[in-house]
This record gives sequence, structure tokens and C-alpha cells, in this order.
Amino acid sequence: MVNNADVWLIIPVYNEATVIGDVVREVLRTFPNVVCVDDGSKDGSSSQIRAAGAHLVRHPINLGQGGALQTGIEYARNQPGSQYFVTFDADGQHQVEDVVGMVDRLRTEPLDIIVGTRFHGDTSHIPLAKRLVLRTVVALSPRLRRLHLTDAHNGLRAFNRQVAEQMEIRLSGMGHASEIVEMIDAHKWRVAEEPVTIVYTEYSMAKGQSLINGVNILFDTALKTGTRR
Amino acid sequence: MLIQFLLIAAVLLLLVFFLRNHGTSRARASVKIGFVLFLAFGVVAVLYPDTVTRLAQSVGVGRGTDLVLYGLVVAFAFAMINTYLRFREWELRQARLARALALRDAEPPSAIAAQD
Repeated sequence: MVNNADVWLIIPVYNEATVIGDVVREVLRTFPNVVCVDDGSKDGSSSQIRAAGAHLVRHPINLGQGGALQTGIEYARNQPGSQYFVTFDADGQHQVEDVVGMVDRLRTEPLDIIVGTRFHGDTSHIPLAKRLVLRTVVALSPRLRRLHLTDAHNGLRAFNRQVAEQMEIRLSGMGHASEIVEMIDAHKWRVAEEPVTIVYTEYSMAKGQSLINGVNILFDTALKTGTRR
Repeated sequence: MLIQFLLIAAVLLLLVFFLRNHGTSRARASVKIGFVLFLAFGVVAVLYPDTVTRLAQSVGVGRGTDLVLYGLVVAFAFAMINTYLRFREWELRQARLARALALRDAEPPSAIAAQD
């Protein structure tokens, strides 16, 4: 069995004190390297992360999920021996077994990045409104169709060192999902999808981003300019 | 009407110009020139309302006041876009600063065990 010492899980955390401890402990049973980015939580998420035994990086102020992901990626790619990187949600909706499958594929197949998709087989467990919106996003985006991506807003992604080094998420809020898709296209990363299971618990449903937030995402993406680096 | 064409063209041109040149010295200088022209136009409009009315009529607007109002709306929209873009840029810098601090003070698990 592989010991997964070269794999890093990156978990952005914002006010998840009730679940993050369990999520981290569960992940640590399979993957020894977990970095949690506490994005300015006010509910003691940090002490839960410490107690669970993950690496902890704390933002002094809240930046948003995209900002937290970028911080986690930069932390992980600076760790000696890190080769594979996985972004994982803090609310417990992602499955460790799915991560194992994705990392295996990265090790064996000629791929740079694998994105999780909930759209496979029976999708009736996904709330209808969510299904419609996510489907519409895909239908409206020629880029997603060209790359054969069905679920751009899935938080579960696994990628190799090259992608981690090139990754530069600039939209701090929730617009980062489309930004990552743009990067896949621009950097010509070899991309594939992996069917994953998303567990919609009451907790994750309450925390999940509201559909109205899609308006913010659209606006931020439309007005994105070539800001000088 | 001529004015409709002028206003729409102005909005589109300015939008494209700002989104493409945002943050360059060229854009910053244009904003300042635009601001000075805007002030000068304001002074002229106050001193010679008839001139403005004639100008308005030549582009198909009834009163000088209306022309001033239309111009104001376009100018305001640009001030807004400019502010929004500037704010976004500032946000990105702030994110990088916060990230640098966070990474400097990162806590690996062993360090925490030592603290306990």
C-alpha cells in the first residue's frame, strides 16, 4: 500500500468548528498531510484543527474561499516531497475514498488535474434547484463543453506539482471555480473528471453557497481585468 | 437621434478602454484629463447656459440641462467602474499580504504538540 506521504490535502475552513475536527481525523487516517486554512473563523475552528493534528495556517482576516485555497496550495507546494495536491471541503460532504481514486489516477494516468463531478448515474440526491443551476452553467459555457467538464463548481480537485506551481487564484470569493477552469484552458493542463459522491447533510446544505451568490460570481468573472501583477 | 448614438458609443468605448488599460499610467492620465474636461464643461454650463442649450439641440436634445444630466450619468458610471476596479486591485494586494502573514505564522502539527 502507498503511504501517501507525497499527497497534501488542502481544506479551506470558515466557521466549521462543529465538524472540522471529525473531518480532519477521518482524512488523516488515509492521508498523513493535511493543511487547514482557517479563513478568519470566529468560532474556534482553529483549536479544533490543532487538536485534530492538521497543519494550520490562519488568515488574519477573512479572504474568501478562493483566497484560502491559494494559501493552502502555496503552503503545501513549499513542503518537501509534496507531489500531489487535493482540495477538499471542510463540511464533510466529500469522501476520502474518492480522493484515493483520484490520486491513484494522477499517479498512473497522463493527467495533470482531476475534477470531481456529481453528475453521474443517479443524480436524484442532488437538490433540484442546484442541479438546474449547475447544468445551466455548463450549457452556457463553451469552455466547459470543450473541456468536457460537467461540474465546474465541485470543490473536490486533485492535481500534480506542475499545476500547483502554476496555480494562481486571484478571485478571493467564490468566483475561483470558473477561474480554475480558465487556468486549465490557458495552461493546457490535461484534465479529466472523476465521478464522486457528495453527501448532502443538513449541515452542508445550510452552509452551502446560496444560488443567489451565482450573481456575484458572474459579475466578478465578467469584470475581471488584466490586473497588473 | 444623434445623442443616443453618442451616449451609447461613449459608454462602450470607455468601458472597453478601462477594462483593457486599467492600472496603466495611460488610463490614470486619461481619468485626470477627463476630470478636468468635466469640470471645465461644468463651468461653461453655468456661465453660458445658452451655449449648452444650443449644443444640446445640435445633437437632438431639447434642453441644455438634459444634456448635462446625460453627461453626468455617463461620468458617474465611469467613476463607479473605476472605483470598483481599483477596489478589486486593492483587495488582491490585501489578500497577498494576509497570505504572506498567514504562511509566516503557519503551525505544523509537531509544533503544536510541543506547545501542549
